Amino acid sequence: MTRNAMIDEWYPVGLVSQLDAHGRKTALMGEPIEVRLGEDGSAKVTGGNGRVLPACIRYGHVWSSLGDPQKPLFAIPEADQPGRRLVDVGVVRVRCSPLRAVENFLDIAHFPFVHTDILGAEPHTEVQNYKVEIREDDDEVWATQVQFYQPQAAKSAQGGITTQYMYRVPAPTCSILYKTCPPRPGEWDVITLFVQPLAEDLCDVWPWMALFDDETPMTDLIHFQQTIFVQDRSILENQIPGLLPLDPGMEIPTRADLTSVAYRRWLKRHGYTYGAQLVAQ
Amino acid sequence: MRLSHGFVRGETLSCIYHGWSYAQAGNCLRIPAHPALTPPDTIRVATQPVEDGGGIIWIPVGEPAAGPPRFDGVTPLRSMVVEADIAALEEAAGTKAAEGLLDYAHDGRTVRLLLAPEGKARTLMHVLVDEDSNPSERIAASRAAEALRRTAEHVAASGTAR
Amino acid sequence: MKLYDYVLSPSCYKVRLMAALTGVTLDIRPVDFHPGAEHRGPELLALNPAGSIPILEDGDLVLTESSAMLVYLAATAAPQWLGNDAAGQAATVQQWLSFSQRLTASLGAARLHEMLLRPGDIDALRAQGTAALRELEAGLVERRIRGQRFLASDRPTVADIACFPYVALAPDGGVSLDPYPAIRLWSRAIRAIDGFIEMPGIHRLHELKPEPSPEGGEA
Ligand SMILES: N[C@H](CCC(=O)N[C@@H](CS)C(=O)NCC(=O)O)C(=O)O
Ligand code: FES
Ligand SMILES: [Fe+2]
Repeated sequence: MTRNAMIDEWYPVGLVSQLDAHGRKTALMGEPIEVRLGEDGSAKVTGGNGRVLPACIRYGHVWSSLGDPQKPLFAIPEADQPGRRLVDVGVVRVRCSPLRAVENFLDIAHFPFVHTDILGAEPHTEVQNYKVEIREDDDEVWATQVQFYQPQAAKSAQGGITTQYMYRVPAPTCSILYKTCPPRPGEWDVITLFVQPLAEDLCDVWPWMALFDDETPMTDLIHFQQTIFVQDRSILENQIPGLLPLDPGMEIPTRADLTSVAYRRWLKRHGYTYGAQLVAQ
Repeated sequence: MRLSHGFVRGETLSCIYHGWSYAQAGNCLRIPAHPALTPPDTIRVATQPVEDGGGIIWIPVGEPAAGPPRFDGVTPLRSMVVEADIAALEEAAGTKAAEGLLDYAHDGRTVRLLLAPEGKARTLMHVLVDEDSNPSERIAASRAAEALRRTAEHVAASGTAR
Repeated sequence: MKLYDYVLSPSCYKVRLMAALTGVTLDIRPVDFHPGAEHRGPELLALNPAGSIPILEDGDLVLTESSAMLVYLAATAAPQWLGNDAAGQAATVQQWLSFSQRLTASLGAARLHEMLLRPGDIDALRAQGTAALRELEAGLVERRIRGQRFLASDRPTVADIACFPYVALAPDGGVSLDPYPAIRLWSRAIRAIDGFIEMPGIHRLHELKPEPSPEGGEA
């Protein structure tokens, strides 16, 4: 058996704001784990047999790994930019492949149908051409020059605007999007999807945001993002096949899906197949 | 994404996820993300022939020689899912099904049940009533079918049917 | 009227939906139910010691049961929604309002378990939810036999609004709605009511909007 390449990656396993000495029992790729606050104020994560797992605290979450991460957690430089509001959106469990959850996050064509009158609306359904690349230096998938017409792009948006997006996949179950920031033209709002793989067909999703918005109350920001994500949840739970197909042929991509095509190719190249299916299996 | 979550506009069925819409023949008519594109004929969904026979929707398994059966004098009332196989329903009704039809005598009247197995332990049960029955009789038939389901599921759960 | 509200709460949605259908404007006070558990904090416990939402405030009146809120909105703005034309109908409305609490305790708890990781015996909750759905299905079948599309009449009443959200969201808790054709028709009838609003997990009927014209793709 080949070693699962995803074993050595970092995954979100809890909110820092909810860490306590009592501990939270959860799981990572089928293994029961426990996440708690250590006496020294750091996060402690233990695996099924009580073994100590790597742990770090970043972007409002506790991160851990079942293996031996070769790199520190990916950087989000904007997270440290002064003036941003950092929003812990909270966990939502979804009965779907963790990779499906990320792929859905990279998709804009569903906005008019799933996030109707918020992130999209008929007849503004067209997805313009955009650029996709795998950045070899950072080993990340990037989509840039993405744009879409949105009736209510953010809690702070006043009416419809054409929103600019950039998407980034720095780890197999994490994605970051940068989008037009209505109150601060010239800056990008940062919205992330951190996915904790519990099993190949079950995940805990931890959305998180770093926004320029001094007006909107924190609870409204949380509710806006929870609304969007829970609109996606029933879609994710009804995907067929449940596991993400990495070989071409099972699903028909169009130009609008180039980010997803690159993501699948990148997963396959790295052997990131937990939650995926290969035709040749 | 399951098309059953989609929506029907005019004669087309659209998927709820990205709004791709399909004609009756299964070919894709429209991809909203690319409004100017005429979808190639290779993009299609599997289709299933259906036939409406006296208010009952039938699908063929294989290539049957004849059309669906007709049940004269009765009309479909409701469809129910029973968590039991046909043997358990037969035991509960105290009679055998013939060609998928079970005549269940209950409180001095007969309710006609059309049975279709869904896997090993589940049955789709269509309740048929006399065409000229009145609302009270129909409600009684519906309740009789509920009672039969309760008994059949009890039989199945306690395993006495095997 | 001030509603202490959570976007993902089906019970709060009942009140928002009823207000939308009866033309009442609510002053929405968002509650950080998840992840903040604000409903169990001192400010909200002072209003509702039960620690649940929704809470509806109108002057001195404080309501903490969604069914009571539906009745209050209907009585204030659109009495036809009360469904009390006759003794039997009024009682039927009460019957379903009480029944709706079983939906909350079964399908609602299953959904909280599956979606927001709340503790609970998921198999038992699903079994209770399925039993409730079967009762609802049978009730709707009998209504249809009498030529009525809604729970207490051929017109929607507070009873329908009280039962609709947890039923429509049953799949969130892993309970399928596929076995219930009468529930499906009823759910469509509710979503087709003029002024209907959605909540996350309950999609609007896209078929009610015309297909955009071919040249309509331009932003
Ligand atoms: N009083 C009931 C309670 C409704 C209910 O169960 N609300 C949930 C949110 S959807 C709640 O507040 N639960 C408290 C908790 O789970 O801590 C009503 O208004 O119908
Ligand atoms: S999955 Fe159905 S339109 Fe995309
Ligand atoms: Fe989405």
